[in-house]
Amino acid sequence: MSELKRTQLYDVHIQAGASMVDFGGWEMPIQYPSGIVAEHLYTRHACSLFDVSHMGRLLIEGPDRVAFLQHVLTSNVMALDLNMAQYCIIPDENGCAVDDAYLYRFEEDRFLLVVNAANTEKDLKHLNKIVKDYNCTITDITADYAGIAVQGPKSKELMMILSGGEAVTEPMKNALNTLQLEGHTVQVAKTGYTGEPLGYEVYIASDEAAWLWNRLVELGAKPAGLGARDTLRLEAGMPLYGHEMGTDPEGVPMPIFSVSLARFAVSFSEQKGDFVGRAALEVQSAAFKRIMNRDFSDVTAVPKRIQPITLLDRGVIRAGMPIYRGDEQIGWVTSGTMVPYYRAEGEGLQTVILEETAKRSIGMCYIASDVLEDDIVEVDIRGKRLKAVIPPYHMRVDAPPFARPILYRPKTENAAAAESDRPAKALELIRKAAENHQWRQKKCINLIPSENTPSRAVQMLCASDPAFRYAEHKKIKSFYDQDIFYYQGTKFIDEVEQLAVEQMKQYFGCSEVETRVISGQMSNTAVFSALMDWKNRLDRKHDPKRLGYVLNNHIIKGGHLSAQPMGALKDYIAVDPVTEKSAIVNFPVCKDNIYKIDVEETKKIIEKYRPELIIFGKSMVLHKEPVAAIRQFVDEQNIPTTIMYDMAHVLGLVGDYFQKPFEEGAEIVTGSTHKTFFGPQRGVIGVNYKKDELKYGLWETIESRAFPGSVSNHHLGTQLGLLMAAYEMNHFKGEYQKAIIENAKHFAKCLKAQGLNVVGDPSIDYTETHQVIVSVGYGSGPEVAERLEENNIIVNYQATPDEEGFTASGALRMGVSEMTRFGFGKEEFARLAELMADCILRGQDISGDVEKLRAEHTEMRYCFNDDEYLETLGAFAAQIGV
Amino acid sequence: MNYPAELKYSKSHEWVKMDGDVAVIGISDFAQDALGDVVFINLPAEGDEVTAGESFGDVESVKAVSDLICPVSGVICAVNEELLDAPEKLNQGAYDAWIIKVENITDQEELLDAAAYEAFCAEEG
Repeated sequence: MSELKRTQLYDVHIQAGASMVDFGGWEMPIQYPSGIVAEHLYTRHACSLFDVSHMGRLLIEGPDRVAFLQHVLTSNVMALDLNMAQYCIIPDENGCAVDDAYLYRFEEDRFLLVVNAANTEKDLKHLNKIVKDYNCTITDITADYAGIAVQGPKSKELMMILSGGEAVTEPMKNALNTLQLEGHTVQVAKTGYTGEPLGYEVYIASDEAAWLWNRLVELGAKPAGLGARDTLRLEAGMPLYGHEMGTDPEGVPMPIFSVSLARFAVSFSEQKGDFVGRAALEVQSAAFKRIMNRDFSDVTAVPKRIQPITLLDRGVIRAGMPIYRGDEQIGWVTSGTMVPYYRAEGEGLQTVILEETAKRSIGMCYIASDVLEDDIVEVDIRGKRLKAVIPPYHMRVDAPPFARPILYRPKTENAAAAESDRPAKALELIRKAAENHQWRQKKCINLIPSENTPSRAVQMLCASDPAFRYAEHKKIKSFYDQDIFYYQGTKFIDEVEQLAVEQMKQYFGCSEVETRVISGQMSNTAVFSALMDWKNRLDRKHDPKRLGYVLNNHIIKGGHLSAQPMGALKDYIAVDPVTEKSAIVNFPVCKDNIYKIDVEETKKIIEKYRPELIIFGKSMVLHKEPVAAIRQFVDEQNIPTTIMYDMAHVLGLVGDYFQKPFEEGAEIVTGSTHKTFFGPQRGVIGVNYKKDELKYGLWETIESRAFPGSVSNHHLGTQLGLLMAAYEMNHFKGEYQKAIIENAKHFAKCLKAQGLNVVGDPSIDYTETHQVIVSVGYGSGPEVAERLEENNIIVNYQATPDEEGFTASGALRMGVSEMTRFGFGKEEFARLAELMADCILRGQDISGDVEKLRAEHTEMRYCFNDDEYLETLGAFAAQIGV
Repeated sequence: MNYPAELKYSKSHEWVKMDGDVAVIGISDFAQDALGDVVFINLPAEGDEVTAGESFGDVESVKAVSDLICPVSGVICAVNEELLDAPEKLNQGAYDAWIIKVENITDQEELLDAAAYEAFCAEEG
């Protein structure tokens, strides 16, 4: 084995007792004494280290680097932002893979291409032939740096010990960062080949590699070899060159589109020009699309596809075993073995991963393209035919921090509910609803910041007669823009709507208001739809152009769904033809306060992208939004844009104690009326365009996208309730808003004093809104929130800007609005903070104390309650039978 | 590595213990170590006839599959079915985890004693 290459970590492996094998010309650890099964399992529940120093690393530099990479890779290199990585394939002229690779952009002016160890030489030969025509260079820097993959749910924690608490990378997959680990400079990628939702690949100078490896072992990571690396990637469904790519067992090259991942790794962007294999890949892509639409009329270009496979009978499937459908051989197993997993019990978020383990016989296969998910096939295992099935996948990673094994279950239709005994069920429903009402209204302390309880008057008005009516109406130019109603019996609601609009205009301090939208998200949808319609108003003969660029708060930084491409923006946001991604750009946040927009960096983004729409507003919100500063900047720079502020969460705070959006320069404000505002659940849109302005036309478009664009029936009961809420808010806002801000700050300070980790800026008492955010430890949010609910405190768990998603949430998001309305002041919030600390930090049962505290505060404040008013309300209640 | 003196060994790494007229058969410590984590075993049935030098089943580790070669000819009188659900017992104690018992023995392979087998393994290893 003397001619084999050794990595910088060779001695470390030998000392650890590794069994070494020849892998692509490198002498690598296949396993350590604990064995592959233990290494696999340790990766899934804790953290393993893999030596990936053998992976080929090629540095691409020079003026033509982008053009060269666009030509030799399948991916769109223009879509790769600084400090991001992308998966790509090196294609040949026939649309087959020379290799698969990862492209990293740690620096503005150079790219790092990481290729398979066994293919490095072949790749270099292939690339060097082409690079001659470009003004750029390829340098093999494989030996200059060691690579260590740190993978598993504990990886982030261990890495953050070494970084001294600094974020390792942004939480999204493929993010890159250059940072110091105890004084050693490393380049880190949030990538890996284990499928772990938390995992990094770390590049470090050769002579420091052993230090990092040993330090991580000291902290609790364990080494894992190539054996575990293979079972992990197999379970995760990740292709391995030579098995799922390259040539099939008969030596026939496999088309790139036989791997589903190709859908993301191959771009036909115009920017890529005539890249290597483009023509063949376009034919494959067309075949792939037909196959996805279950049209198998012409599968010549993609005759077989890589699919997961699960053995149903007892046994083990291995690479190369033939697969049959009846008498016809339809493919082969490409990878397969027995893979261990941790059993789990419970359902949904309450799923508990047990210590007990089991094994399953799974693999991947290269199989006829007309085989569908759930199809049963047979695998020839040394002459014996055993039953196997094509599952959708073997594992899911969308509930971090853990990768979740998915055991095959045949799909079943939902059983129809029993049809009997409806009277008893109806009675049961009333009883349960009453019980729930009593619990939420009398026993629970509700801290969900997006909720509030409306006053008794609002509740009763919502339940009264207009609740069952229609009142469609539209302004008609022939009648000088008078609202014309289509139905009779609507004069009362007509008056109510006009009064509600008036009250809301006074509240916002703006010129026009639309109240027919029935939710905050619908408000945004109506506005986006109107903006797009307005943009295309002078050309109705072509497909309308979508909006782009749009500047918003990223969902992970507190932005709300209703301003995201995955939410209300979906049908209105353009795709940037250069990056082939949504034409969206996010507000940068301050380095020392990730809850606050960085105004100076935002200005740079605005200059670069010149967004046509700027959307302020968040659902995790501790700070005022810098509306005035950005308005001033876009005016000075003469950047044509529309500034919108989605005030859903802070609608009830418009005024002296928070922000006056229109005075600060917002043109459009949207919101929901039931979070900090006093209303029932509805939406609202306000604008400040005057009748003689060009953009007044946009306002008219917004009105028409509300009706008939969004609603026919705009829910008249709550429309009536909204008017009362607006009266209450305009009358009581001075006291209420002051109390909200004071209570939130006080609550935050008390929670902190009780030893809880309140996030945000201590110099402003953590918050400028109704919200308070407490960090309870990575991934612990759901469990702590559930525990609080058992103790009658309702909060929501929340991922903070440095966490991966809701199942990894480490924070609680709380709001003081509802309890402030029920009369909580500083004293009560101090007591509540004490109880919460007892529950969260000390695991005490506080349910009785919470009930007691709540029982003392059931009278609603900030609403009308003089004698005449209460008498009239009583009579109204009797009439409507409430 | 463990080579108990009271056992005999085949060159294909099975061990044999004679219990009266019955041969108890398993795989050696060296074999389980070389295989790595055993994750599956294919067992024959009670009453099956076996022939010396021929396969009577196979064991699969994460890495690969290996045939089990019978050191004796005869009829299987017992099968350790516990191993079907817990093949890892072969790793945990190769000499406790017997695989089959064979009676009516008519023939056997050339078997090594512990010292000779240890030397043979050293050469292979």
